[in-house]
Amino acid sequence: MASIIKVIGNVRRIISHNNGIIGSFLKMFRHDDLKWGTLVGEDKYGNKYYENNYYFFGKNRWVSYPQSSGFDFDASEIPPEWHRWMHYMTDDPPTKVPLPQRKWMADHTMNLTGTSREYVPYSTTRPKIQSWVPPKSSD
Amino acid sequence: MLRLWPLRQVAKVQNVLGGLTQIATKSTQPAPAPELVEVFIDDKQVFVEPGTTVLQACAVAGVEIPRFCYHDRLSIAGNCRMCLVEVERSPKPVASCAMPVMKGMKVKTDSPMTRKAREGVMEFLLMNHPLDCPICDQGGECDLQDQSMAFGSDRSRFTDNAFTGKRAVEDKNIGPLIKTIMTRCIQCTRCIRFASEIAGVDDLGTSGRGTDMQVGTYVEKMFKSELSGNVIDLCPVGALTSKPYAFTARPWEIRKVESIDVMDAVGSNIVVGMRTNEVMRVLPRVNEDINEEWISDKTRFAYDGLKRQRLTTPFINVDGQLVPTDWETAFVKVAEKVKKVDPKLIAGVAGSTADAEAMVCLKDMINRLGGELLCTEDSFPLNRSGIDFRSNYIFNTTIGGIEQADVVLLIGTNPRLEAPLINARIRKTWIHSEVCVGVLGAPVDLSYEYQYLGDSFIVLKDLAAGTHPMCKALASANKPMIILGTDCLQGTENGVIYNAVKDIAERLRKNLKHKDWKIFNLLQKNASQVGALDLGYQPGVSGLKALQAELIFLLGADAGTVSKDKINPSSSVIYIGHHGDYGAQIADVVLPAAAYTEKDAIYVNTEGRVQLARQAVNPPGMARHDWKIIRALSEILGVALPYDKLADVRARLGEISPTFDQPGQVNESGFEAQAYQLQTEIKDPIVNVNTAISPTMLKLKDFYMTDPISRASLTMAKCIQACKESEKNPYSKQEAKA
Amino acid sequence: MASAMSTKILGPLRLSKQLISASFCRSKSDLTAATGHTFTEYEKQRDKKDVSIIVNEKMDISAISGVPEEHIKTRTVRIFVPARNTMQSGTYNTRRWRMEFDSRERWENPLMGWISTGDPLSNLEVNFNSKEDAISFCEKNGWDWFVEEEKKPKMVKKSYGANFAWNKRTRVSTK
Repeated sequence: MASIIKVIGNVRRIISHNNGIIGSFLKMFRHDDLKWGTLVGEDKYGNKYYENNYYFFGKNRWVSYPQSSGFDFDASEIPPEWHRWMHYMTDDPPTKVPLPQRKWMADHTMNLTGTSREYVPYSTTRPKIQSWVPPKSSD
Repeated sequence: MLRLWPLRQVAKVQNVLGGLTQIATKSTQPAPAPELVEVFIDDKQVFVEPGTTVLQACAVAGVEIPRFCYHDRLSIAGNCRMCLVEVERSPKPVASCAMPVMKGMKVKTDSPMTRKAREGVMEFLLMNHPLDCPICDQGGECDLQDQSMAFGSDRSRFTDNAFTGKRAVEDKNIGPLIKTIMTRCIQCTRCIRFASEIAGVDDLGTSGRGTDMQVGTYVEKMFKSELSGNVIDLCPVGALTSKPYAFTARPWEIRKVESIDVMDAVGSNIVVGMRTNEVMRVLPRVNEDINEEWISDKTRFAYDGLKRQRLTTPFINVDGQLVPTDWETAFVKVAEKVKKVDPKLIAGVAGSTADAEAMVCLKDMINRLGGELLCTEDSFPLNRSGIDFRSNYIFNTTIGGIEQADVVLLIGTNPRLEAPLINARIRKTWIHSEVCVGVLGAPVDLSYEYQYLGDSFIVLKDLAAGTHPMCKALASANKPMIILGTDCLQGTENGVIYNAVKDIAERLRKNLKHKDWKIFNLLQKNASQVGALDLGYQPGVSGLKALQAELIFLLGADAGTVSKDKINPSSSVIYIGHHGDYGAQIADVVLPAAAYTEKDAIYVNTEGRVQLARQAVNPPGMARHDWKIIRALSEILGVALPYDKLADVRARLGEISPTFDQPGQVNESGFEAQAYQLQTEIKDPIVNVNTAISPTMLKLKDFYMTDPISRASLTMAKCIQACKESEKNPYSKQEAKA
Repeated sequence: MASAMSTKILGPLRLSKQLISASFCRSKSDLTAATGHTFTEYEKQRDKKDVSIIVNEKMDISAISGVPEEHIKTRTVRIFVPARNTMQSGTYNTRRWRMEFDSRERWENPLMGWISTGDPLSNLEVNFNSKEDAISFCEKNGWDWFVEEEKKPKMVKKSYGANFAWNKRTRVSTK
């Protein structure tokens, strides 16, 4: 009996955490997962980081990508400081212990492979054949 | 053969009887032919002809004697001493390259004495040879490297007590092709012997003695020979290396592709060195029947022309300007042009480097469209038996056959520049069998002495009539040869000249003792010409004007014989070829094709020998194989050709002429009498030709640029520059350009 | 052809021989006693016998060789004797017959400008003692082939004395 109450309580918390039934449905649709937890922080790209130690290690920290990412979100959207926390390299989220900012640190970009902005390597070898360029006609 | 049956039976019986007598005498060895000498090489019995050298006898026994100065095709020098071997009952080791065999000689090629002798020689050679193998271009294919590994000692007894260092020799500048690092020279004198014996220019020689001996040109000058590049191959060390190839590749990185050269009509066998989809160098390949083991400088060094001025995309003419486009657009453009014209007015011209596959495809396509005129760039008289008989337009004697000739008459040709290897053969014959050479044409330097007969047509008429003093020599000859050049057949009076030459040949043929000896030879200049004529192309482009052709396909025709002012001005030109040269400039559509190193192709040389060229590298960019282009085009034009594979095209070639099925062979062409009969059936008016009978290539500088590939080559341009400079001032110090 | 088609089955025989010698290791002396010969002599005699089997049928292993079909039906093999490198005087390379396929599917790799190939047979190098062996190998594998005949250098009689001939053109001019 007690476990049923626990389950109902969890369901209620999940629904309330995810903005009601419709919100939960959308969340399920987008993330294939429904959880509730405490918001640990949010980075400047709009990713929200949650933690709930009720879930087992490995599932207890998660990220919710911003709506702007649509359905095409990618794990590389997580910036390095949150990457540390997400991968259990540290238990201190950058909201608590911010990483030192150095002037040489570049802004984080996600992995662009497969997108239109991906990096395409070009040949650095010298051309072996010199093509003929037709002479410009005088007339 | 069947009529010889009784004779053969007798021979068989004799054999059996011979066998019986042998058994009776208990002889275990087969009786050698009486003139052979029996020698023992490492206790192995071999029979060789008397007069062969010990080194050659060892080669027969399968033992290779190390050597530096000895070369199969050069005279014996005997100065490197590397070929020392022990001969039983001889107190000292003997130089096997110079020693003739003697009866019962017992040669030991691997005895302690022989080994010690070799070690000693190696020690002396390496005393002064720099240890710069890592930066030497010969590294990896160096005889000195190989032989010091195989036969040398692991240490040297020489210590440089006075710290004088090794011998150092100043490098010589002998032209834009050969790089000299004379410190590496081991004085084998192969280059000197090549220059004076094969090339026929006494440019190289030695000065000084002992440590001070140097190989060079005495005074600094260019090594002016059309065969000069061969000294690079001959040099057993890295003293003479190729300037264009310097520091570009190592021999072990190179993929060797055995192919055929198309720079002249000789069809020299070559090995194309390929690395990273690039032709790195061209080397000769031994073929006794054609080029022995030499190639001309154009063959060897014009390969950089394959990388310049290349057509890599199709072009179409938009408002008088060629613009790059894709294959589809270009094909559609061609199809539009074909639709517009009367099919009868479609013609094709094959250029100097067109391969047989492409030519047969072009011919089949144009014939299917309805056009009949297909021609080559080189003209040839058609007025009589013309090209109906193969013997009329090929080099009947064959190149190897030159060596049997005793009188050679050259008419209107300069073989030294038109076909350097044929000239080298004539020179070889001139040296070894005292051939008598007569020249009718320009008094050019042929590298051997000849009797100059003048350059006027009157001389030719005298020869034909039998009144010229040279006729006596010709008539008394056992195996006379007449070599007619194609340069004098380009004019309108070519028929008259050709007939006169045929008259001479026919008179000689009638009184010939050796009935199967061929007298008449035509020395072609273009690698494609014989193949084209075999396939039924018309020689010469005069037909274009007569037909008023509206649409002309040029298959690499770049000699400038087809130009806007010589053809119907309203006609369109479609160029299929590999270089942006004359042909591409006048074209309305340019279709990029493959050069000779980029396709598996068949070429027929001036002897009528069918040879296969192999693909070494890929055609650049969007360029494709010629026959595939024409095959694809035929589909768009609605006359799809019935072959999809190269094997099918070759089968079609075999249908047209069975010679294409027998690569590597020369098929003897007969019917000279019939050809001549046809020739004389029509009597044409006696015409006096007023122009001099003369070849167009006279000086060495004319040799280097003759086709689109060599015209695009920077190396060839440098050669011409160097030739001009040395003409102006032969002994000036040229700037050494690496 | 027949000898080329023959298949040696020496392998299994050798194996059985080993088995015999292993199980009868103690009986070598017995054998000597029984036959009057030593065991090794017996072995030698048995090995002398020709145990090769001649298969006269035309063999086609293309179905089981594992070579993709496109590389069987569309390839042409050139059978040849490699040319001697004219830069060197050694002839060791020119003693055997070799096969080589038509060149195809090579492209320039954009990374270093080296060459890549999609042709698994392009680097196949098989040497044969005779062209007949090469031909039968090609036929066994179902490849089209053609032979480029060997180009042997001719031997010319030479003499050192010709350099000094007083009436011949072979007299050397420069040294």
